[in-house]
Amino acid sequence: MSNMSVKLPADAFRPVKQTSETSELITRPSLTFWADARRRLMKNKVAMLGLIIIFIITLMAIVVPVFSQYSYEQQNLSNTNAPPSTEHIFGTDSHGRDLWVRVWYGARVSLAVGVFGSIIPSLIGIIIGGISGYFGGKVDMIIMRFIDIVMCVPNMIYIILITLFIGTGPVALIIAFAITGWMGTARSVRGMVLQLKEQEFVLASRTLGASSLSLIFEHLVPNTLGIVVVSMTLGVPAAIFQEAFLSFIGLGIKPPIPSWGQLANTGISVFRIYPSQLLIPAALISMTMLSFNLFGDGLRDALDPKLRM
Amino acid sequence: MVRYILKRLVISIITIWLLATVTFFLLRTLPGNPFQTEKLLTVEMQERMMSYYGLDRPLMEQYFTYMKNLLQGNFGYSLKYTNRTVNSIIKSTFPVSAELGLRSLAVALPIGLALGVASARKRGKIIDYICVVIAVIGVSIPSFIMGTFLQYIFAIKLKLLPVSQWKTAAHTILPTVALALSLMATLTRVMRASMLEVTMQDYIKTARAKGLGEGRITWSHQVRNAMIPILTMLGPMVASVLMGTFVIEKIFAIPGLGQHFVNSITGLDYTMTMGLTVFYGIFLVTANFIVDILYGLVDPRIRLAK
Amino acid sequence: MSRKILEIKDLHFSFDTYAGEVQAVRGISLYLNKGETLAIVGESGCGKSVTVQTVMKLVPTPPGRLKSGKIIYCGEDITHYSQKEMQKLRGSEMSMIFQDPMTSLNPTMRIGRQITEGILKHENISPDKAKQRAIEMLAKVGIANPEKGFKRYPHQFSGGMRQRVMIAIALVCNPNVLFADEPTTALDVTTQAQILELINELKQELETSVVIITHDLGVVARTAERVAVMYAGKIVETGLSRDIFYKPKHPYTSGLLESMPSAGQVEKTLTSIKGTPPDLFAPPKGCSFAPRCKYCMNICTQTDPDEVQLENGHKVSCWLMNPQAEKRELPGRKSRLSTQKPLKEGI
Repeated sequence: MSNMSVKLPADAFRPVKQTSETSELITRPSLTFWADARRRLMKNKVAMLGLIIIFIITLMAIVVPVFSQYSYEQQNLSNTNAPPSTEHIFGTDSHGRDLWVRVWYGARVSLAVGVFGSIIPSLIGIIIGGISGYFGGKVDMIIMRFIDIVMCVPNMIYIILITLFIGTGPVALIIAFAITGWMGTARSVRGMVLQLKEQEFVLASRTLGASSLSLIFEHLVPNTLGIVVVSMTLGVPAAIFQEAFLSFIGLGIKPPIPSWGQLANTGISVFRIYPSQLLIPAALISMTMLSFNLFGDGLRDALDPKLRM
Repeated sequence: MVRYILKRLVISIITIWLLATVTFFLLRTLPGNPFQTEKLLTVEMQERMMSYYGLDRPLMEQYFTYMKNLLQGNFGYSLKYTNRTVNSIIKSTFPVSAELGLRSLAVALPIGLALGVASARKRGKIIDYICVVIAVIGVSIPSFIMGTFLQYIFAIKLKLLPVSQWKTAAHTILPTVALALSLMATLTRVMRASMLEVTMQDYIKTARAKGLGEGRITWSHQVRNAMIPILTMLGPMVASVLMGTFVIEKIFAIPGLGQHFVNSITGLDYTMTMGLTVFYGIFLVTANFIVDILYGLVDPRIRLAK
Repeated sequence: MSRKILEIKDLHFSFDTYAGEVQAVRGISLYLNKGETLAIVGESGCGKSVTVQTVMKLVPTPPGRLKSGKIIYCGEDITHYSQKEMQKLRGSEMSMIFQDPMTSLNPTMRIGRQITEGILKHENISPDKAKQRAIEMLAKVGIANPEKGFKRYPHQFSGGMRQRVMIAIALVCNPNVLFADEPTTALDVTTQAQILELINELKQELETSVVIITHDLGVVARTAERVAVMYAGKIVETGLSRDIFYKPKHPYTSGLLESMPSAGQVEKTLTSIKGTPPDLFAPPKGCSFAPRCKYCMNICTQTDPDEVQLENGHKVSCWLMNPQAEKRELPGRKSRLSTQKPLKEGI
C-alpha cells in the first residue's frame, strides 16, 4: 500500500529552509587517495604477511649482531664447519666464525644494499625523467638517446666496471646501482609526465603563474608517485639479487664482511658436505625477495584499484 | 617502409658507434694494465707486451686503429687468450650460449604466457593462486640458488642427469630448466597483469555485448592486445638470454659466452670486453628492430605511424 | 501487456567494495513497449548505466550483486539466466552501444571482423554471406565506401564514424532491443545530431525498441516517446515525453528542464540545481533529492515517498503530490526547442 494515502500530521508538510550547506553536504567520510590505498593494503593478507616478514628480518638484522657474544669476524680455528648447535645456532664456517652472527650481520649489508640500491636510483630517475618529460624538445631528446645507448649494454657490465673503479663494499655497490639503475624509472616517469602535462590541471596552475620547477615537483611527480613507489618496492628484491649475484662472482662484498650473497657463495663450495651453510643464506635471500615481491604486488594492487576486484 | 628501415639502420649505426667509443675510453681509464695480474711478468716484460699489442701508442691513435678494424668486423686479438682473436672466441662460445638461451625461451615462452592467460581468466580462483604463487616464487629465487639446488637434487642425489658440462641432450636439461624457470615466472607475471588490464577495456564489454563466449573473447580480443607489453620486454630479454648467463654457465660448467663478459672485465682484457659489448649492442639493436616490426603486425596503430 | 517487450520489476543492484556496499540501483521498475524509444535521464552516477548493463548481465559479479527484482524479456524471466544463456540473447535479441566510441572498438581488429563475428556467432551462415551482410550494414549506417571500410582498423575512423560502426555492430543481427548508453556524449555537437538521426531511422526500419540513456534532455526531445527520470538509484518520475517536458511533477525533473537552454529564451537566466547528488554508500533517510529540493518539507527528510499514478501512465514519487501538501506549480518547458523536430506522440 502506498504511503501517500496515510494521513500525516500537518507539521510534516511544513517547508524546510534549505541552505547551501545542507545541499552540498557530503555524507561519506572523505578518504584521500592514500588513506584509501592504505586501507586496501591492510586488507591484503598476503602483502601484510610479506611486510611482517620484512619487519622481523630487519629487526633481527639490527638486534642479533649487537647482543651476540661473537663478532662476525672472530675466528676459532679449533671449531670449524660445526653443525648448528645451542652454542652456534647456525653452526660455524670454515674459519670457525659463528654463522648466526654472520648471517644477521650479512642481513644488514644485503638489506641496506637492497633498500638504498633501489631508492637512490629511483629518486635520480624521478628527477631526470621529470625534467626530460616536462621540458621536452632537445633536452628530452638528448636524455632519451643517452638512455637508449646506455641500455644497449647489460647493467652488469657497467656495475662491474664501476666496482673496478671505486672498489667493492656496500657503499660502492649502492653507488654502482645508483649510477646504473635510474634509467628505467626515468623512462617511465617521463612517459607519465608527458601524458600528465597535457591535462587541464597543469594548464590551470601554469596560468596561475606556477614556475616550471614547482610544476614538475608539486604537480606532475606526485601523480606518478604511485607507480614509482611500487617499482621502488619491487626494485628492492632486484637489488638484493644483484648484490647476491655480484658477491657470488666475487665482485660484490669481500670477506670478512658478510652478505647473504657472499655467504651463499661460500656455502656453494662446501654445499655437498655442509649443506646448511648454503641452505640458510639461500632461504633468507629467497624469503626476503619473496616478501618484498608480495608486498610490492599488494602495494600495486592497492594503488591501482581498477586492477583489483 | 623502406625509408623507415633505412632510418632505423642509421640510428642503429650511430648508437653502436657511440657505444663503442664510450666503452673504449671508459675501459682505458680503469687503473692497472691487462698484464699486471699475471705475477710471472716483470714490469719490463709487461711493457713489452703492451707495445706488442699497441697499447703504448697515443690513445687517439689506438682508438682510430680499433675503429678501422671494427668497420671490417674485426674485433682484434684477446689480450688474455694468447693468439686467439675475439672473433674466434665468440664464434666458438656464442652458439653454446644461444642454444641454451633458445631452449630456455622455447620452454619458458609458451608456458609463461599460457599460465598468465589462464591465471587472468580464472582470476581469484584456485588456478590463479597457483599460477601467482609459482610466478612469485620463480622471481624470488636467484638463479644461482635455483641452479645449485636443481643440480644437487637431480644430478647428485637422484643421479638422473649429468652434473655439468655441455655434451649430450641430457646435459642440456638442467641448465635449460634453471634458466627457463625465472624467465617463465617473469613472463607469467607480466602477461597476467596485461591480460587483466585488457579485460577492463571497453571493447571487451562490446565483445560481450555481441554475445561472444568467454573463450572466444580471450583468444580473439584479449590475447592479441595483451601481447603488446610482452613484446616490449621480449627484445632485451631474448638478447640477454642468448648472450649467455654467467651464473648458469658457471654452475654447470658450460663453455658459453656469458663467462667471458665477467672474466674479460675483471681481467682488463680490453679487446675482449670491447668486442663483447659491441657484439651485444648489435644483437640488442637487431632484436629491438625485429620487435618493432612484430609490434606493427600486432598493433595496426603503429603500422600507420610509420 | 503483450506490447511490453522488456520489463524490469523492482530491481536492486549493489556493488560490494572495500569501503562497503554501494547501492547503485535501489528498486527500479520500468517497461519498454515494442517499437518505442524510452529515455532514461539523470546525472552521472545515478545508476542509469548499471540498470541497463544489469539487464544484459554485463556488470561483473562480483563486485556487482543483483539483490532482488525481476527482468522479463518477451514474457520470459531472464533474471537468473546464466552467462551461457545470456550469450544467446546478447547481440541477437538485445544489444548495446557505449558512450566512448574511441575505446569501445578493439584497436587491433579490422572493423569487418568485429561486425561479422557477431553474425557468425548467432546465425548459421557462411563467412562470405556474413561479410556481405556486414558491408550492407556499414552502408546502412552511412560509412562511405563500405567495402574499404570493412578492411579498416578503428583508428582510421573519426569518433562519429566509429560510433556508426558501433551501431552497425549492435544492429547487424537485427535485435529487438537496443540499449544506447550515452551514445552521443563523447561526440561533438554536429555529429551528435547525425548519430541520433541515424538511430531513429534504423529503429524505424528495423523495428527495434530503443532504450537511450542520457543526461541531455535535448537528446530526449529528439528521440524518445517516453522518459524515466532517475535520481540516486531510483526513478523519480516517468511518463510520456510531452508530459515530462510540459507538466513535470517532480522538482528534480523541473530543475533539469530549467537548467536546459532553449532558443527564444532570452530574458531568463539559466538556473541550475544547487548541490550534489547523495553518496550511494549511505543513501539518506527520506527522499534522496530532499537536501537539494527547494520545496523540501519536513516529511521529505523522514520518509521516502511512494509512487503516485497520474494520467497517461505518468508516475511520480514526490510528497508534493500528497493531497495534504501545499499545491505547487512546477515550471516546465515553455516552448519547444526550436532546433528539434516535433515530438512524436507516443503510445
